[in-house]
Amino acid sequence: MDQKILMKNEIGKLYIELAEEYNFYAPVINKGNLIYNKILNPDEIILDFYNSKIPPKEILFPKMETLFEYKTDGKNIEEIIERKDLDEYNIIFGIRPCDAQAFMLMENFFALGDIKDNLFLKKKENTVLIGIGCNIPKSTCFCTSVNGHPFKSDYLDIFMIDLGEKYLVEGISDKGKNMLEKLTWLSKSTKADIQKGEELSKKAEESFKTKLDVKDIEKILEQSFDHPIWTEISDICMGCGICSFLCPTCTCFDVIDENDQYNNRGRRIRIWDTCQFCLYTLHTSGHNPRDSSIERCRNRILHKFCYYPKNYDMLGCVGCGRCIQLCPVNNDLRKIIEKVNKIKEEEKVNA
Amino acid sequence: MGIESENKEIEKNLRDIARNLLQEKKVDAILGYSKGTAPLSTSPIIIRHIDEVNKLIWNNLCYMNLAKYLVPRIPQLKSPKGEDLKIGIIAKGCVGRALIHLNVEKQLNLDNIKIIGISCNGIVNRKRIEREIGEKEIFEVSTSENNIMIKGKDFEKKFSFDEYINELCKVCKVKSPPKDSELEDIFIGESREMKSIDDDFSDLKEFESKSPEEKWQYIKELLEPCIRCYACREACPMCYCNLCFVDQNKPIWFGKTTDLSDIIIFHLVRAMHLAGRCVACGACSSVCPMGIDLNMITRKLEKLVKERFNFTSGLNSKFLPPMMAYNMEDDEEFMLEEN
Amino acid sequence: MTIQAEKEKKIKEWEPKIIAFLCNWCSYAGADLAGVSRIQYPPNIRVVRVPCSGRVNPYFIIKSLTDGWDGVVISGCHPGDCHYLTGNLVARRRFAILKELLEFFGIDPGRVNFMWVSAAEGERFAVLIRKATKIVKELGPNKKFEKKW
Repeated sequence: MDQKILMKNEIGKLYIELAEEYNFYAPVINKGNLIYNKILNPDEIILDFYNSKIPPKEILFPKMETLFEYKTDGKNIEEIIERKDLDEYNIIFGIRPCDAQAFMLMENFFALGDIKDNLFLKKKENTVLIGIGCNIPKSTCFCTSVNGHPFKSDYLDIFMIDLGEKYLVEGISDKGKNMLEKLTWLSKSTKADIQKGEELSKKAEESFKTKLDVKDIEKILEQSFDHPIWTEISDICMGCGICSFLCPTCTCFDVIDENDQYNNRGRRIRIWDTCQFCLYTLHTSGHNPRDSSIERCRNRILHKFCYYPKNYDMLGCVGCGRCIQLCPVNNDLRKIIEKVNKIKEEEKVNA
Repeated sequence: MGIESENKEIEKNLRDIARNLLQEKKVDAILGYSKGTAPLSTSPIIIRHIDEVNKLIWNNLCYMNLAKYLVPRIPQLKSPKGEDLKIGIIAKGCVGRALIHLNVEKQLNLDNIKIIGISCNGIVNRKRIEREIGEKEIFEVSTSENNIMIKGKDFEKKFSFDEYINELCKVCKVKSPPKDSELEDIFIGESREMKSIDDDFSDLKEFESKSPEEKWQYIKELLEPCIRCYACREACPMCYCNLCFVDQNKPIWFGKTTDLSDIIIFHLVRAMHLAGRCVACGACSSVCPMGIDLNMITRKLEKLVKERFNFTSGLNSKFLPPMMAYNMEDDEEFMLEEN
Repeated sequence: MTIQAEKEKKIKEWEPKIIAFLCNWCSYAGADLAGVSRIQYPPNIRVVRVPCSGRVNPYFIIKSLTDGWDGVVISGCHPGDCHYLTGNLVARRRFAILKELLEFFGIDPGRVNFMWVSAAEGERFAVLIRKATKIVKELGPNKKFEKKW
């Protein structure tokens, strides 16, 4: 399909046309933080940004989500009310390729096994992802090291390249192509535009400051479960939830029943949870297999770099760098991977 | 002396002392700060070998309260045999206060702790600076004369030091750890015995004169971005409960959701638990990923116990915190009385 | 207004729901004495009997407010008269902190009231409950912690 051009000053027009049918989510600044939020006014959209603070997973997998509600008559349950908004259509505008890859990882997770998570999958099916490539990756980004690329369009529906005053737009999936066909007012692209896009892609790829060696990481991690390195890696971790809550691929959640007895109603909700909380693996017997930060830190690294490749053939990390920037004690993932890789070298020397 | 040269001097002395302590085997490990790899960050570090001593730094970005790593809930600091290690802890004023208060609450074994006291001149308000820089990448942070210099990708910006340090640091009266008879310590710079602090809490006057509706609006707007990551709770040295009240589920007292009412209740109850215990270190605000500044609440807690019980936490091991005691003569002006 | 209309108006007028934690030895007995002496006081309070005002965990007060109660009243023995000697002194400090913090957070301070009522003070109990109910009624329904579903 031919690539089209969307002028930056036409985004308002795009919004007006699409907002009737779709819930339009775009990057906005809310109390000083850049997040993805449903917008009511296209002027709110921020186009000049690296990446959001809270990953866009928040839109399809919110911090707090109602699974179902129920009404009682004081003693017995009268009625169970299911979710009605799963058939709504959504657009997430301005998503980055790393976050789109994360959505694919999340989809794999929620679709695995006999019991599928219909809440997430149904919403994802009804969502169009419009992504923008990263012309200038941040110094803490490392998507090229984990099978990503700042201009990777594989997991997007529509992919746009920022050419300055305009975007070069390409439909990737059928969903995306269908949507672009309806937007007949988009201008045609020229060969110069396409070439500039390719140049930007190459420039971005070469500008990465962080490069991680994750070639053998799955095997090293598998064999070093009891290695003393984990004590060193985890000694300053405090056990808060920042790295997992703000990770675009983390999917753990806790299910809570809330009872509003005075109003004869209740609901079951799910909220974000993290393996870094000290009570995450507390059994009802009182035993806690992950009793200290050593086991919990180790679990997080193994989950992303060992268990994910085993179960899904994809690395569980997309290289967005949020955990590196926001960790309160600066427990840098890059240093951790370096230390883990050194285990292999040590063993070679000792052998 | 400018801020930068003061810091360098402190850093040099720090490293010398740490080296001596490790050499003479007076401590097994030194707990301090090291250079951060992300902008506006520093990383706490546990140094066990003398060759790593040069990793210790001191600057105006050392926002973590290191006393957190000494509470019993954090089991890192034990030898492979399970015995407590002897720790030398690098303590700015609020860290020293936290250590004294933890001692009063009997959470520390002081025989194993040596305090390396330093005089702190304020911690940079990293979240405020990040917000003002906006969507630009920061590479280097330094202090020169009375300014904070931020250098980033294609830009350079200067911030006034006195204006852009933490709100709590602006009104801090305990810049170096208080001297206390029960703590063995080595000091660089000044240290003095403190029985109480002189504070009129004038920074709270404006907020306290607002109507309840205005206060509620302010608090709502302040706490709305909270994502319940509990970084504030984990960074606080006084939050060391084995089972936090939000995690109790037999029965569930307060919700863990991100509903506004649940968020406000979490912060209200946590503030209540910290009455008379908070040492105003500002770590909670510095670590919040959403940039929520809890300084107002912290100041209110200090004002509350100072005015009612004439107590300030962490100054002296001999005074009991107000919530651990009671008195027949307490003020009861808030009680309902017949006219 | 006709008598019928007046009656309907009284039924529709909002009445606050106030939860009252009364200490078993003094305040509960005081309330009992008010009842036996046929002293009228507003029927808005729902009583929870606790062994001592010191048993009242601040969580009870906060949870009551979040559950939708319009007002909370805690009553204990006078300082020095506590059946357990010092329970009410401990409670007094807790109440002081809680009240100031609630006020700081913008929750109307009139919603949470504390009082000392002894077993012989039936009239005093009624007077203070009347006063507390009046204060809470003026503040209106407690909508601050309503969860939107």
